[in-house]
Amino acid sequence: MTDTSQTTTETAETVRAWLVDRVAFYLERPAADIDVSAPLVDLGLDSVYALTLCGDVEDRFGVVVEATMAWDHPTVNAMTDHLTGLVSGDR
Amino acid sequence: MTVDLRPEQDHRARAARLERALGPAADPANPLGHRAVLAADERGELLADGERALREFGLNAEFVPEHLGGRFTRADRLGQLMRAVFRRDCALGIGYGVTSFIAALPVWADGTPDQQARVGRTLLAGGRVVAAYTELDHGSDFSRTEFTAEPGPGGYVLDGGKQLVNNISRAEMAVFFARTADGPGSRGHSHLLVDLTALPAGRVRRDRRYPVSGVRGCLLGGIEIDGCPVPGDALLGAEGGAMETVLRVFQVTRAVLPSMVVGVGDTQLRTVLEFARDRQLYGRRLADLPSARSTLAGCFADLLICDAFASVVARSLHLRPGETSVGAAAVKYLVPKLLQESSYRLSVQMGARSYVRTGPYAIFQKTARDLPVVALAHAGSAVCQASLVTQLPRLAERGWRAALAGEAPEPVDGGSVYDLDAPLPPLHLGGLELNARGADSLAGDLVRLHTVLAGQPASAPLAALTGLFVTELRGLSGRALALAPRDRTVLAGPRAFTLADRYAHVLAAAAVAGVWWHARRTAPDTPAADPAWACVALHRLAGRLGLRPGPLPPEPQDRVFADLTARHEAGHTFDLFRGRLASGPA
Repeated sequence: MTDTSQTTTETAETVRAWLVDRVAFYLERPAADIDVSAPLVDLGLDSVYALTLCGDVEDRFGVVVEATMAWDHPTVNAMTDHLTGLVSGDR
Repeated sequence: MTVDLRPEQDHRARAARLERALGPAADPANPLGHRAVLAADERGELLADGERALREFGLNAEFVPEHLGGRFTRADRLGQLMRAVFRRDCALGIGYGVTSFIAALPVWADGTPDQQARVGRTLLAGGRVVAAYTELDHGSDFSRTEFTAEPGPGGYVLDGGKQLVNNISRAEMAVFFARTADGPGSRGHSHLLVDLTALPAGRVRRDRRYPVSGVRGCLLGGIEIDGCPVPGDALLGAEGGAMETVLRVFQVTRAVLPSMVVGVGDTQLRTVLEFARDRQLYGRRLADLPSARSTLAGCFADLLICDAFASVVARSLHLRPGETSVGAAAVKYLVPKLLQESSYRLSVQMGARSYVRTGPYAIFQKTARDLPVVALAHAGSAVCQASLVTQLPRLAERGWRAALAGEAPEPVDGGSVYDLDAPLPPLHLGGLELNARGADSLAGDLVRLHTVLAGQPASAPLAALTGLFVTELRGLSGRALALAPRDRTVLAGPRAFTLADRYAHVLAAAAVAGVWWHARRTAPDTPAADPAWACVALHRLAGRLGLRPGPLPPEPQDRVFADLTARHEAGHTFDLFRGRLASGPA
């Protein structure tokens, strides 16, 4: 039980950090500037871009996600929650 | 007599019947001929006799799925059929029908059985359903839509305005793209299917008309709604689901509309060919001067490129729906551009006749004014290019890498996307993916075909030409992977847009080569099986990219020009479909 939740926490932090890096990459801003609770759209990433991010997620974590994932989970935190389940369930 | 026609015969028969309903274009006594079309354009009216004829033909049924009583089964055939209308009058093509087709797609994708039945009945009765998307302040950026549908007693309350909506003043129903949640994001919009005749008078104005430079007969209007309640069952699809639906179903229109517009290029080329055969210069006909012949043959080849590309992508909607987010954007970007540039080159041959609004060739200036409007209609080139840009790095990483390594999987359809007369499975709008996930089977097919051709001495010219595009793809691959982060988003700079442009050309080349190759095997007696057109077409695409294809040998160009004049004399269309034009008195 403790093991599982610890693994999940680690997974979540890995996913979150990677997403922050990725968003920072596209925005060409330092990772420290990325607000993990802000909607991506407010950060400057538009709808079509959100589709691209889903592709990156698939390539990095080897999972298949809906192209609209970043629409339905519009912040880094929300995507982290969504992906952590998928990723840890897969590993 | 009850003959059970096979679908293909049925299709050709329908195309012939539509052409007959319009009658001969050149006959001055034909109330639907070009003389009448020009007169209506001068008056800024949609040709009333034309609308009547299309209603009698039952054109709207072409937009309604079979299970609802209509005849819409295949995206490729719809594009080819509608060319008859676009050859005659762009304004009729857009103003009678196409707008209804666009509006109905979200209904076929997301509508309840009741909503689908209502829209089907309205269209089959000759009525109009319009697509209310555009707000002039936001152009193609639907996500900034300000028109709202707020929860109200028993349903929603509509508020705001839409502009440049075809036929809004006289339509029975409209599909509105409305904001249903505050703030930015892609889940804040919904479609609403609204009975315009039931809206309370005094709260709606829909009599404003926007004068435009082309398709002057079209009733491009606006609607202003001031707090109108509509019932809850007006909601079409899920609340917040409109953006997703748009990105799916507008792949269909992005492929099919450019296919229809090939008909405009047909009329332009026919007009200039007639001019070139009448006009004497330096003691001979303009059509006999090498430069003019080369222009005419080239414009014909461009039409065949447009047809091949649009038809292959339209077939892909049925066969490879996971990938058409890319192909359809490329078609909607490149085909209008080819047609527009062709229009300019033809106008140079015409000289003053290209802009004179009266006389025997006056239809040319009308088509030249109509074409840019039609090209931008529905989805502008910049939007299509931008949506390609966002997919380029992953295409390079996945699809192109596999293709160039000769490791692309053989498509399960066995190349049927290129076999323009082969049957198709049904179109599933829900199966169209928002993103191709890096898959590009057209690129895979191109590389494979090049390898085959390279092993056949008889196919040396086409092997060399396809090889240019394989090399181009390799170059694009490196450049796409090297794109700076920002250049992978819609904020991309000109460098990324250039890659998208070049990539669209590669896809068009893949379509041309594929269509020729499959015709050669499955339909050797058809014009598509002649290597001459493929050779000229690929040469032109390569030349546009500056790939240095070398001088075009005279033989294929002469063959293409001979085909063009033979079709003109026999009254055949200037496309791969090669239908028959109406002849004789109306």
